[in-house]
Amino acid sequence: MSRSLPTGVVVSAFVRSLAIQGSWNYRTMLGSGFAFALLPGLRHLYGGASDEIRVPVERHLEHFNAHPYLAGVALGAVLRLEADGADPEMVRRLKLAIRGPLGSLGDALIWATVLPGVALAALTLAWLGAPAWVVVTVFLVLYNAVHVVLRIWGFRAGMRAGREVGRVLAGADLAGWTRRIEPVVVLLLGALVGAVVGGAGGLVEAGAPWLALTAVAFLVGLFGGHRTWRPAAVLTVVAIGAVTLIGGLT
Amino acid sequence: MAIVLYRVDERLIHGQVVIGWGHELRPEAYLLVDDELAESEWEQELYRLGAGAVPVDFASVEEARRRLGEWREDARRSILLTRDIRTMRRLGQDRLLAGASVNLGGIHHGPGRTEVLRYLHLTEEDREDLRSLTEEGAEIAARDLPDAPRVPLSTLLKD
Repeated sequence: MSRSLPTGVVVSAFVRSLAIQGSWNYRTMLGSGFAFALLPGLRHLYGGASDEIRVPVERHLEHFNAHPYLAGVALGAVLRLEADGADPEMVRRLKLAIRGPLGSLGDALIWATVLPGVALAALTLAWLGAPAWVVVTVFLVLYNAVHVVLRIWGFRAGMRAGREVGRVLAGADLAGWTRRIEPVVVLLLGALVGAVVGGAGGLVEAGAPWLALTAVAFLVGLFGGHRTWRPAAVLTVVAIGAVTLIGGLT
Repeated sequence: MAIVLYRVDERLIHGQVVIGWGHELRPEAYLLVDDELAESEWEQELYRLGAGAVPVDFASVEEARRRLGEWREDARRSILLTRDIRTMRRLGQDRLLAGASVNLGGIHHGPGRTEVLRYLHLTEEDREDLRSLTEEGAEIAARDLPDAPRVPLSTLLKD
């Protein structure tokens, strides 16, 4: 049995996937968000009657995890497999196999590369003297453009490839993109640190007390930035920030 | 010995293995022993994605038993993974894993499973299999990450 899904159903599943973290929890993680996004498709395939749809919905409420921006790859593939009438066991195995790579590829590409990269690009603009609203707008537009494009690409790739989606992901070479973007991020970071420490209006110019404060913040971040101590580290940095700000205003 | 870790982990290749153990042990290959995976190309493609640039070999239990000696003598450092305890026991039958340390990673909650550690849930059959593996000379302990405490089997099976 292979059935095509109406465009409305597909679009609705994608739009719902934007909220896939909406009911994130420690037990099923993205599980209930996944079922929520899949629901329009399941309703179409199994009919709206509560009894028939109960079983497939429960299957998809189970534990699932992935990077939220790449979860659409799994969602698309599962939607396609459900429409093709695939064996539920095969769908389960796909979800088991794909969650690891979607997590690690997404973490490396987004959390470790794109997010710091876009933030640093915006900060570089600020350092170059762009007005605040430009800096914020550039950050928001760039960051959102990346993840929306990634989500649309991933969902479509999953829909097209079904269980063969591994080949598509390998071909897309997300790890390669991560490697290509990384040097740019590091370059921006180096330039900014140099500017903040030694540049015009930088720390060296501001004098020893500011350098000392920065050193304290750096050390707290280095040694206190561990997960367990994060609240303390954040508080310290906020306190230093507040002192700096007040010092700057008076 | 070129197999630097024998591990049972439901999720096979994932963050804990690639980042946690991978950074510690620097494997040059992953060996996935699983009868179903050995036959399923589309699933292999997905698990390969999680390993990054490190090559992944797939083998059925039977094939793995044949190739174990070769893997151990290989100059490449490798991590051998099974997704359940039964597979590891079948691999180790007839003292094939005698003297080896078997690491228990994540096995999560499911029907018939009781919690032994936060990341380890065992069925009665699992306990049986673990006892028999020990009797055949394997040394078993649970540890999800290299810097976590190592919990020996005797503690795990204590009621």
